[in-house]
This record gives sequence, C-alpha cells and structure tokens, in this order.
Amino acid sequence: MLKRLTIILSLLLVVLGCTREQNYNEKVLNLISPQKIKGFDPIYAADMYASNEIGKVYEGLLEFHYLKRPYVLTPNLAESMPEVSKDGLTYTFKIKKGVVFQDSKVFPNGKGRELKASDFVYSIQRMADPKLQSTGWWLLDGKIAGLNEWRDKYASAEKVNYDEEISGLKALDTHTLQFKLVKPVPQFLYALAMTFTSAVAREVVEGYGQEFQNYPVGTGPFKLGYFDNSNRIVYEKNPTFRDKFYPTEGAPGDEERGFLADAGKKLPLVDKVIVNIIVESQPQWLNFQKGSADILGVPKDNFDQTVVNGKDLHPSMASKGIKLEMVNSLDTTYIAFNHEDPLFKNNIKLRQAMSLAYDRDEANKLFYNNTAKTAHSIIPPGISGHKADYKNPYVAFNVEQAKKVLAEAGYPDGKGLPELSYETVGSTVARQMGEFFVKKMADIGVKVKISTNTWPELVKKTNTKAAQLFGMAWGADYPDAENFFGLLYGPNEAPGSNSSNYKNAEMDKLFKQSTIMQDSPERTALYEQMYVMAADQVPWIYGMHRTAVTVLHGWLKNYKYIEFTQTQIQYLNVDLESKKVLVNKL
Amino acid sequence: MTNYIIRRLLYLIPVVLGVGLIIFILFNVVAGDPAPLLLGKHATPQQVHELREQLGLNKPLYMQYFDVVRSSFTFDFGRSWATRQEIFEMIKIGAWPSLTLTIPAFFLSTVISILLALVVAFYRGKGIDLFIRFLCIAGMSISSVAYILFFQYFFAYKLGWFEISGYEPQFPDFFSYVALPGIIWIVLSLGPDVRFFRTVILDEIYQDYVRTARAKGLGEIKVLLKHVLRNAMIPIITYVVIQIPFLILGALLLESFFSIPGLGGITLNALNSSDFPVIKAMAVLSSIAYILFSLLTDILYTVADPRVKLK
Repeated sequence: MLKRLTIILSLLLVVLGCTREQNYNEKVLNLISPQKIKGFDPIYAADMYASNEIGKVYEGLLEFHYLKRPYVLTPNLAESMPEVSKDGLTYTFKIKKGVVFQDSKVFPNGKGRELKASDFVYSIQRMADPKLQSTGWWLLDGKIAGLNEWRDKYASAEKVNYDEEISGLKALDTHTLQFKLVKPVPQFLYALAMTFTSAVAREVVEGYGQEFQNYPVGTGPFKLGYFDNSNRIVYEKNPTFRDKFYPTEGAPGDEERGFLADAGKKLPLVDKVIVNIIVESQPQWLNFQKGSADILGVPKDNFDQTVVNGKDLHPSMASKGIKLEMVNSLDTTYIAFNHEDPLFKNNIKLRQAMSLAYDRDEANKLFYNNTAKTAHSIIPPGISGHKADYKNPYVAFNVEQAKKVLAEAGYPDGKGLPELSYETVGSTVARQMGEFFVKKMADIGVKVKISTNTWPELVKKTNTKAAQLFGMAWGADYPDAENFFGLLYGPNEAPGSNSSNYKNAEMDKLFKQSTIMQDSPERTALYEQMYVMAADQVPWIYGMHRTAVTVLHGWLKNYKYIEFTQTQIQYLNVDLESKKVLVNKL
Repeated sequence: MTNYIIRRLLYLIPVVLGVGLIIFILFNVVAGDPAPLLLGKHATPQQVHELREQLGLNKPLYMQYFDVVRSSFTFDFGRSWATRQEIFEMIKIGAWPSLTLTIPAFFLSTVISILLALVVAFYRGKGIDLFIRFLCIAGMSISSVAYILFFQYFFAYKLGWFEISGYEPQFPDFFSYVALPGIIWIVLSLGPDVRFFRTVILDEIYQDYVRTARAKGLGEIKVLLKHVLRNAMIPIITYVVIQIPFLILGALLLESFFSIPGLGGITLNALNSSDFPVIKAMAVLSSIAYILFSLLTDILYTVADPRVKLK
C-alpha cells in the first residue's frame, strides 16, 4: 500500500514538475489579454482587445503608419490612398492584386481565393445589416449614399438581400472600389482603417453560418491556430500572406531607437503569437517577471516596483534588460454632470465651483501614480484642436475660489443644495475615486453620496438620463477631435455618446460646421474655439489625460507605442539570441 | 422509495418555474438593458430599439416569461447575447476546467477535514485539539484573496513549483495548472470543515452507545471509526453532498486569479453584461442540480442509517 502511494505521489510530482519549456527554435511572441475575446467577427470589434485579435487575421483598406507620428493613414489592402473627387464625396480605391484569403475548407479545394473589391462591398453591407447590429454601424450611419435606405428597407424584413445594388457602394471592377458619400465626411477614411471594415469573404460567412466568429479566415499576417475565448489564442504565421514589408521610414528619432533595424523585411517578423487571457493583475505581473509574457501594461499596484523618479525604470528591472515606455494615451477622464438635471443645466456657477474644488494633482498621485496630465478641456494632447498653452481657469484647485463661486451660484457653503448622487461601478478603484470626489466636494459644503452599480446598471442609468453625476473616460476611436466633440453634441444625447446630455446651440453649430471640413488650418482654428468653449462652459469636471506605462523584455524588438493597435503585432520581432541570455537573468 | 423519488423529481417543475420567475423579475427590475451594453458606446436609439426587438425584449412580459419557461424545460438556451456562442457549448467547455479543479480539491478537503476532526475529537480538550482549533480559526480570519496572492507569488513565482496561471484541458496536463488552486481550496476549506465535523463527532462521542462500546473493551480508534463516524454520517452527508451542485459553478476567485476558463468566469461575465440567456441557463441548471443532489442526500441517509425510510 505504502509502495503504491509512493509511486502515485512520485508520478504526481513529475506531472506537476512539467512546466513549459522555452523554445528557441522559432520566434514566438507571448502576449497577455486582460479581457476575454468574444469572437472574430470584424463587425463587432468594438473594444480594443477584440480589435487586436481580429486585426491579426483580418485586414482593412487602410491602416495607421506604424512609426510615423502624428498618426497618418497609409494603404493596407488598398494599392494606394484613394482618389477623392473635388467635392469630397467620391472615394475611389484600387485594391492590391494577388492578395488571397487564408486557406479554408469553404473555398474550392480548400485554397483561399483572391481578394476582390466586391468583398469590401459585402463587408460594409454586413456592418449595415439590421439583423446583425454591428457595433461599428455609427461609423457609416448616414454617410454612404443609399446605405441607410438599404438598411431601413430590410429592418423588418425576414431576410436581407446582399445582391441589391447600393448607389454609394460599388465594386467598379475586380480591383476597384468606389464609395459615394451623402456629404463630405473628413473622418471617413479613419473608418476604413478600423477593424470593423476589414474584408471578409461571403462564402466564409455563409459557410460557417453562426459559427463564423469562431473560424476567422482573413487575408492578414496570421492565421488562427487555437481559440479558447477565455483561456488562450494561438496564431501561426499565414503562409499565404502577401509581400508586405516593414516601413523604411518613421518619425524623427526612430532610427536611433532601433525602430528601423528591420526596415524592408517581409512581415510578419515572428512565427507564432500566443495570447493568454489573464484577467487579474498579479498573475499578469508574475508572468511578465518570469518571461512568460513579452510585454505588459504595468498594473497600478506594481508601478513603484517599476518606475523611479516618475519616469525612469527601476534599476532592478533595468538590470534584467527590461525596458520602459511611458506615452500619453489619447484619452480624457471626467466626471459628468447630467445636464437634464435643472440643478446643473441652469447653473454654470455651480458647475464651476465643483470643478474648482476638485484636486486633480492629488487625484493624479492617488490614482495614476502621478503620470497623468491635467485635462484642461476635452481634447487630449496629440490631437489637432488641443491647445497646449491654454489653462482652464476652473481646473486649478482653489477651495476659497470654489466657495465664492458656490455662493454666487446661490448655495453659500452648500446651503440649500440638495444632496447629490455620484454613480459609479463597484470596483475598488472606482469606489476610491468616488470617495475622493465626495471628500473634495464636502470641503466646500457640497454633500454627495456614492451610489455603486454594476456596469449594466450604470449604463442603464446614464442611458435613461437617471444618473446625476458619474465618472467616465473616453479613448479616441481615431485621431480626430470630432471623435471627442461628439460627446458634447446635443443630438448625440443619451442613449447616444453625449451621456451627460449637454446642449449648447453655439457648440452644436460649430460642431456641425467642423464635421464637413477637411483637415486644414481653418478646421484646427474652429476646433480650438470649441476647445476653449468646452472648457469655459464646464460641461464636465475634467479629470486627466492618462499615460500608458508599458514594460517589455529586451528581446522584444520594434515595440513602439501606438494608440490604434490592431495591426501592430506583425511589426514586432523577437531576438532569440538575446532572449536566451536575458531569460537567465529573470 | 420509488414513489418518494418520483415525487421529489416532480418538485423540479415548480422549482424550475419559480427560479425562472425570480430571475426573470430580477432581470427586468434590477439588471440593466442589455441592448446598449451589446451595442457599445456609440449605440443609436434606433439600434437599441431594433436590437431589443430582435432579442424579444419588446414582447409583452408574459410572453417573455413563457420563453423562459420553454427554454428551461427544453434545455434549449440558445446563444449568448454577449458572445454569440452556443450556451450549451459554453457550459460544456467551461464545466471541465471547473470540475478538474473543484472535484479533486473538494474530495481531498473533505477527507482531510474528517480525518483531522477525528484526531481533534480523539484528543479533545488536549493541546493538539486546541492547537488545530486555533489554526482553523486563525486560517478562517484571513481573506481568501490573501491566500491566493501569497500562494501564487510564493509557490508559483518564487519557488517555481507550479504554473503561475493558465490551463491545459488534456489529461494529465491540467494537473500542473489546478494543483496550486486546488491546494488553496483545501487550505481555505479546512477551517470551517474541521470545526463542523469536530462538533458533529463530539455530539456523538458522548452518546450512550459509545460508552457501551468502550465498556465492551473496544479501542478508542475502533470506537471512533466504526461507531462514532458511522453515526455522524447523516449531518456529514447533508453538509457534503449539498455542496456538490455548487462545484459545477466553479470557484470564481480561484478561476479568475489562475486564469482557469471555468464556469465561474462565464457566470460572472454574463452578470456583467446582462447576458440573460446565460444567467438563465446557469440558474436553471444549478437549481436542478441542487434538487437532484438533495434527493441523493436523502437516499444516502438510508444507506448510512438503515432505520431511515423514505416515504
């Protein structure tokens, strides 16, 4: 009996001891996704994590240049940038020839066929299909001639007819695609760089039916090897990927930083990508420390172990060859007033007083490790329309001034003001932010109570205009101020993206005017005017523009922070020789 | 007994109807509207309306409840609103990782706890009894998250004895992934389990029949194992078997920290995204499991104590 037990225990220890061996024969990129991936259908690529995974397999007409900053669009599946008519309404694309879909059983003989312009017509139609309810429909809503009509026609029909011609969306020949817009939309090209508009093949969609999302077949640099949406995703290099090369030019300083070392090399640069889904921050951090992940956004609680002097990598990490990247994100955090509430709608002084009482420096230290930048208005740095020299007078923390303005608002020391309600989600940090806000408001006599919600409850409250005050953050979908100003555009009120229900006739007029203007000094001037107006009117209590803090191992090459990450992975490289050395230092 | 089993199985009908009604009411009163959640931050009112129509949320409430009842009895739960995956497939895939973690851990923790309870009962009132009870109470006073964070850091990262996180579904690969969370499960269970089993055993140990057994000259170990333990089985069975349905739901925190793709995470995601079909499936299936295992408990009573008759 004892002998048998010993054998069992020995076997168990052998099994437990079998940890994964490092493989230095192929270039494998090990990544972490902090969120489960819902599936691989491009029309639902609403969040960054889904978009990153879908972007490994599928491709769009355009992409953001991997190295150049400010962000510029560059052709991806398009042969070149489109020909745009003088009135700005017609966009004609030439599609690259010889691009093939990955091999799949749905194609004759299992061999992927060539990409055609009609694949884009079909893919865009899917985004508009009322039966599918794409999360990216907002990008095209009211923009392409005939598309809304097509959508509305089939909204209550049994079946949608994809063969029906749409006047503004045509494949002129096998490799020519034409869009006709109903009005000039300068942001239209950004939509064509987003994962939503990636090319899918109709026979794949129809062949897999409802399981299409689990069997991605794109033209991209990687093909899916293994997919468990809550555990791990494995990609292999796509053997039929076209000749696409690493850029030969970048932003100033890129060459010195080694970002052009692989210039001109065929993409992708790694053989395999493994994405582990790890939700909690401790295992993310430990996996990175052990070398099981090549790159990681630094969890808040590990910041002090990583960064010293607010900007330098901790020596203990630097000695292991780890590198640090700290780059401003294109986002804005804020506490929204519900402008449907008469308390805020008609009382700018009250909004100003509350904004003055909010201590952003302390919030920065407490919640962002002092890495964020104070938001003076709605547009983050890096997007045209942001005025770096502008100082919002209601952003400077000043309790005395806040009390004075509160008295002018009709509530001296908060007297007469009913208790306000701050809606937040139940996570620890969100509640801490709420407590901080309550404390700062109490300092001027404004009483606020915290109401915690699940995320669905909070969304319900904001969508039904039932939330009085609530904390939010907005990240850029594309690098254009329009994407931010839309949050203050009256017609976008809840359940639209203007969840604070702010309405300002002048702002609306300027916004409408700017949306049809091409990128130009005139439009930038208009954006700057709106930027100042959005600050003066205090529609929100502006918070921060956050900083992305990322660590990466020394063997990972070509990592340059990019806000729009969907096509990034193909440019990354792994130096196996340095990995062999550096792994031993961990 | 057959009549009793049939009657208990028939109880499933009102239970499933009741559970369906409760989650339906909670979903409609408390939970958020799933349509804007599913459509994302740029949802238009028209899209919200259309999606609600497609999901059947614009139907009269009684018709929506009828759909709940129908799917509960046919087990056709359809697809998840959030992930668009087949719900049965999701449950099938998620159940294996959950069960590979929870069943061995539950079995071992129960066996170890009963053995420890017998030891402390044997040495009742002595140093070892006090020491183990002290450890139990001390162990229960520490948050489960603290155990997880420490064990993961120390045993997986520092000592490298286990994988930090992840999961391989193949046998025996999964052992190296579930071993550490399994050990944490056992450590977390020992405190409450040992205290409960000790109380149950001590309740028996002062009974007349135990004194009679000792008077007949039986050794203390034999008395404990053959007489006391057997007679303590009724509360032990109740305590143990009724926990089994919840094993299927997985161990939420352990699954989350060790990235085990089990049912705990699926349920939590469903709650966070107002994914009613998944919530409904998990609630209905776990209530059915609860009824079946409570029936099993009753049947096991008759095995443990032949005097018990099911009528």
